[in-house]
Amino acid sequence: MSKEAKPKAEIRVRPKEEFNFFQDQRVRSALYQLLTAGIVGWLAWYLISNTAHNLEVRGMNTGFGFWNVSAGFDADFKLVDYTPGIGTYGDILWIGALNTLLISFLAIVLSTILGFFVGVLRLSSNWLVAKVALAFVEVFRNVPLLIQIVFWYIGVFSLLPVVKKSLDLSLGAERVVLNNRGLYMSTPIPGDLFWMTLATLLAAVIGALIFRHRAHKVQDKSGKQIKTLLPSIAAIILLPLIVFLATGMPLEWDVPVLTGFNYVGGTSLPPAFLALLVSLSIYHAAHIAESVRAGILSVKKGQSEAALSIGLKPGRVMSMVVIPQAMPAIVPPLISNWMNTVKNSSLAVAIGYSDIVSLFMQTSLNQAGYAVEMVGMTMAFYMFISLTISFFLNIYNKRVQLVER
Amino acid sequence: MAIIKAKKTPDRSAPASETSVLGWLQKNLFSSAFNTALTLFTLYIIYLTISGVYVWGLADATFVAENRRECYDNSLTGACWAGVIDWLDNIFYGRYPREEIWRINFGGLLLALWMAPLWISRVKGKVLVGATVVVFYPFLAGYLFAGGDKGFFMQFMISGAIVAFAINMANTITGLTKNLGLNAFLIQSLGQTKATDKTQRNILLLLAAFAFGAAYLWQMSWSFEGVTWTKWGGLFLTLVISGIGIASALPGGIILALGRRSKLPIVRVLSTGFIEVFRSVPLITVLFMATTMFPLFMPEGFVLNKLVQVIIAVILFNACYMAETVRAGLQAIPKGQFEGAHTIGLGYWGTMGLIIMPQALKHMIPNIVGSFIGLLKDTTLVSIIGLFDILGMLRSISKDVPWLGLHKEPLVFGAVLFFLLCFSMSKYSRHLEVKLSAGRKH
Repeated sequence: MSKEAKPKAEIRVRPKEEFNFFQDQRVRSALYQLLTAGIVGWLAWYLISNTAHNLEVRGMNTGFGFWNVSAGFDADFKLVDYTPGIGTYGDILWIGALNTLLISFLAIVLSTILGFFVGVLRLSSNWLVAKVALAFVEVFRNVPLLIQIVFWYIGVFSLLPVVKKSLDLSLGAERVVLNNRGLYMSTPIPGDLFWMTLATLLAAVIGALIFRHRAHKVQDKSGKQIKTLLPSIAAIILLPLIVFLATGMPLEWDVPVLTGFNYVGGTSLPPAFLALLVSLSIYHAAHIAESVRAGILSVKKGQSEAALSIGLKPGRVMSMVVIPQAMPAIVPPLISNWMNTVKNSSLAVAIGYSDIVSLFMQTSLNQAGYAVEMVGMTMAFYMFISLTISFFLNIYNKRVQLVER
Repeated sequence: MAIIKAKKTPDRSAPASETSVLGWLQKNLFSSAFNTALTLFTLYIIYLTISGVYVWGLADATFVAENRRECYDNSLTGACWAGVIDWLDNIFYGRYPREEIWRINFGGLLLALWMAPLWISRVKGKVLVGATVVVFYPFLAGYLFAGGDKGFFMQFMISGAIVAFAINMANTITGLTKNLGLNAFLIQSLGQTKATDKTQRNILLLLAAFAFGAAYLWQMSWSFEGVTWTKWGGLFLTLVISGIGIASALPGGIILALGRRSKLPIVRVLSTGFIEVFRSVPLITVLFMATTMFPLFMPEGFVLNKLVQVIIAVILFNACYMAETVRAGLQAIPKGQFEGAHTIGLGYWGTMGLIIMPQALKHMIPNIVGSFIGLLKDTTLVSIIGLFDILGMLRSISKDVPWLGLHKEPLVFGAVLFFLLCFSMSKYSRHLEVKLSAGRKH
C-alpha cells in the first residue's frame, strides 16, 4: 500500500495480492539460503584449492600413508606395548588417545568428589569453614589453569627429593615411593586361584544389594528398620578375605626396587602426569563446587524445613531430600565441566605429558608433516568424545524432565 | 468479662547470638563439640598456610639482589623476588623498546578515558560512545603500538579516531557541566535552536567535517617509529589478543547465534555445525591448526604472521562460545516482544536490531564480562605455540643467566596478578548482574 492512500470510511476488500517475486517469503528464504550456501561453498572451495596447491608446491605428504610407517620416537608414558622404531604412527595415536582418556577419567573422578565436598562446605553453618571453602574456590577459579599446571610441574613435582632420598608414602615399607622422577607403586600380580576371591567379592556385593532391597521392602510394609550398613560392609570385606586366605593368598606384588639410579618394577607415573592430575582436579573441583552450591541453593528452604520437622536427621535431610532434588540443577553444569576436563587435559602439551595433542598433533606432525590429516584426526577425536558425553547428557535431561513436573 | 491488657509488654531484647560478638562466635563457630573441633582444625590449617606463605614470601624473601646466587646468600628458604622485580618491564611490556613504552601506556590511558563516560550517568549518547570505541579505537591503538608507515586508510581511520575521541571528551564535559549532549550544546551556543532538524543536522555535519579535516592535517605532521610484532610481549600482548578477541567475537557471536535460531534450514545447519565443531575441541588444537594449516589456506606467497594467525584462531574460537551466550540471552526475551514487534510491522532485521538485541545485550553484559575473564585466562595458551605473552615472559626468567632456574617466584607473581585482574572483574560482573536484574523487576 502506498503512503498517499488515505484511509477510507467504507469497508474495502483487499484486492488479491499481486505476486511480487522479491517480496514472496518462500522466494526470499530460498534466495538467502542459496546466497549463504554459495558464500560458504565458495570459501570452502577457495581454501581447499589453495591448500591443495600449497601442498603440491611444497611437496608435502598427503593421504593416510603415515598410518603404518614406523614412528621412531618413544612416549614417556604409555599403557600399551610399544617399541620405538617398530611401532607406527597408528600406535602413537592409540597411545596418545588412551593417555588423554586415562588422565581425563582420573581427573573427572577426583574433581567431582572434591567438588561436591567443597560445594557442601561452602554452605556449612560453620562460618570459618564456609569462608575457607570460598577462598579455595575463588583462588583456583581465577588463576589460569595453564599457570597452575606449570606451577605444580616445575614448582612442586620437579622439586621433590632425588631418587636416592625418595619419599616413602607407605610408611617404611617401600611399596609406594615419590621422588622427582615420579610416583612408583607396587603392582599386584594375581595368582592362579585369585579369581575365586574376586568371585566371592562379586557375590558379596550382589548379596548386600539384595539384602538392602529386602530391608527397604520390609520398612515400606511394616515400618521396621533393619540395619544394613554394618552387616553389608562386614560381608563385603570378610567373605573375600576368608576365601583369599583359604586359597593360600594367591597374590604377589611387583615391588619397585632401587636398582642403580632408578626404581625398576611396579607401576610408575611421571611427574607430568601427577602435576596434570592434581591441577586439573583442583581447578575443576573449584568450578564443580560452585555448581553444587548453586544446585543445593535452588532447592526451596521449605523442603529441608519440612524434612527436619518430620524428624529426619540433618545428614538424612541432605541425602534423602535436598540432594535428590538438587541433582537436575547440578548434573548439566557438572557434565559440561567433565567435557571441559577432557578438553583441558590437552594442556598436557605444555609440560610434556604424552597425550594425544603432544604426541600426535605436535611430535608426529613435526616429523611426518601430514598437517591436514593429523590436525583433522585429533580434532575429530575430541569432537567424538564431546558428542558422546553430550548425547548422554541429553538422555539424562529428558529423563529428569519427564520425572519432574 | 473481657481481659484487657492495659500496658504494653516491653520488647524483649534480641537474642545474644544476634547482638554480641561472643554470641555470634558461639552460633557460627562453636555451636557444638563437632563444630568447635572443626573450627580449631580449620584455624590450624589457616595458620599453617599463612605462616608458610608469610615466611617464604615476605620474612625470608630477598627483594634486592643482582642474581640468584645473592638471593641464596641472603636466605636459602625464602623467595627471590629480585628476579621478578628485575624483569618487571619485560613481564608487562615484553621486549618492546624501552624508550617507546610510553606509547603503550598512552594507548591504555586513551582507552580508559574513552570508556570512562560509560560509567558517568549524566553523559548523553552512551551507545555512540560504545560504538566509536569499537570502530575507531582499534585503529588508533594499532598504529600507536605498531607505528611505522601510515597508509591512506590508516590515516583516514586515525583522523576519525581523533575526532571521535575529541567529540567524546567534549560531550562528557558538556554533560557534566551543563547536563546537555554536545550536539544540543553546540546548537544552543550557535543560537540555532529554532532551526529545522535538517539545518541543525547540516550544521553539526559541517562542524564534524571541519574537525575531521583539521585532524587529518594534524596527524600528517607526526608519525611513530615502527615496532614489529615480534617485540610485543608480556601482559601487553595478552591484553591485545584478548581485547581484540572479545571485541570481534561479539559481532561474530551475534551473527552465529541469529543463524542458529534462524528459520532457514541451510543457515541454521551451517551455523550450528560451525558452533558445535569449535566448541567441542580444545583451544590448543585450534591454535595448532592456525599455525600449521592457515599458511596452507592462503594463496601462494601470501604470508600471515603468527600473531595474526593466533588472533584469528582466538576470534573464531570465542565467537562460537559468544554465540551460545547470545543465544541464551535471546532465549530469555519473552515471546511477546517478538510478536509485538511483528504486530507493528517490523521485519526480521527491524525486530532483531531495534527490539530484541538491545534488551538481550543489556542483560548479557555480565556474561560477556565472564567470557572476557575466560578469554584472558585462556590467552596464556599462546605461550605454548611460542608467543611471548605474560606466561611466556614469566617462564623465560628462569632461562636468563643471572636468574637461571628461578621458576616458582615468577609463576606465583603471575598467579597473583591474574587473580587480582580476574577476581575484581568477576566481582564487578556479579554486581552488574544484581543491578540489572533489579532493574528488570519493575
